[in-house]
Amino acid sequence: MSDPAWGRLLARDLDTTFPQLVEATQDRLHAGVVRFVGDRTLADDICQDVFVRAYRSLVQMPDAQRLALRVRPWLWTIALNRCRSWGRRESTRPLEVELDPSWADGGHRPHDEVEETLVWRERLAALSDPQRTAVVLRHVGRFSYAEIAHITGRPEGTVKADAHRGVARLRRALETEEAR
Amino acid sequence: MTDPLAGLDLDQHRAPPTLLPRVLLATNTADGYATADSPLGPVYVAFSGLGVSYVTLVEEHADVETYLSSRLGRPVFPLQRPPVRLARALEESLTSGRLGRLPLDLRATTAFQQRVLAKTAEIAPGQVRSYGWVAEQIGQPRATRAVGTALARNPVPLLVPCHRVVRAGGRLGAYSLGGAENKRRLLEHEGAPFD
Repeated sequence: MSDPAWGRLLARDLDTTFPQLVEATQDRLHAGVVRFVGDRTLADDICQDVFVRAYRSLVQMPDAQRLALRVRPWLWTIALNRCRSWGRRESTRPLEVELDPSWADGGHRPHDEVEETLVWRERLAALSDPQRTAVVLRHVGRFSYAEIAHITGRPEGTVKADAHRGVARLRRALETEEAR
Repeated sequence: MTDPLAGLDLDQHRAPPTLLPRVLLATNTADGYATADSPLGPVYVAFSGLGVSYVTLVEEHADVETYLSSRLGRPVFPLQRPPVRLARALEESLTSGRLGRLPLDLRATTAFQQRVLAKTAEIAPGQVRSYGWVAEQIGQPRATRAVGTALARNPVPLLVPCHRVVRAGGRLGAYSLGGAENKRRLLEHEGAPFD
């Protein structure tokens, strides 16, 4: 669903629309947060926090503002901010907690999922913060450069260059991995 | 050469199944439900963070999830048990027949229905009142029939004791929770006077 449609529905009936919005956007958002923080269990907590904050903010918002809201970019803006502040707050967390493969509901993260997440965390760590942000928004969030500019508050030309340089860095990182 | 972006986008990735219920329960845009014991046997009790929103007999539902979500107009999710802060007051209400401190979430009802329910909640165990009495008490003495309709749709029977509202002349009248026979059982159990 396009963003204007979400804005219209949220303005008309917030409580009925919100569950549909979460259902429709959670998979991509969760994937993006996994790439931003490189930890699937942490991503679960951050995503929950993002949606709850989004709802509280929507409740306060006048109808006209909801109507004009670019809903998906707005959600990802909140997510991006939460990933950054979470990183600061959680920076002293011991590594074994991050590696905990158990689901919150008692199940288990498959081992190769944990492994895959760590591999990508390492690759993306080679990028500068703006590059990583632009690459993830572009290739995981599937946003246009105009939308990425809107989310990050940086000029469109700049985020485009960030994304290209980021991909070039990833290519080099991969070549190094393959040469090992 | 390998595509440097292959696998980055987590193409078929799904958020964990617990994310949606957690978010919706935390924002009161969905309700949880669990079973509890009542004088009429096991009941499903639905609740949000605001309070209890629905009570219905377990034996009457093969698909309670669909039923509750259509009645409440919100998604519902099964939980192991009611949240701790509700559990005690709920058990007390169901055994004592008094609402007490138990909070209710009546967002799915009309303003008129809420006034009817609030007045009905004041009728103590062992007492009965007529539909006309409720209508008078809420300042709409000619709305007897509407009071009957509002109580027939009481989402929280037993907690708001609509079984204590009977027809003029002492006849029982209808009861939504399993029929008039249950109304009689409850009133007998409470020692209420009726014919």
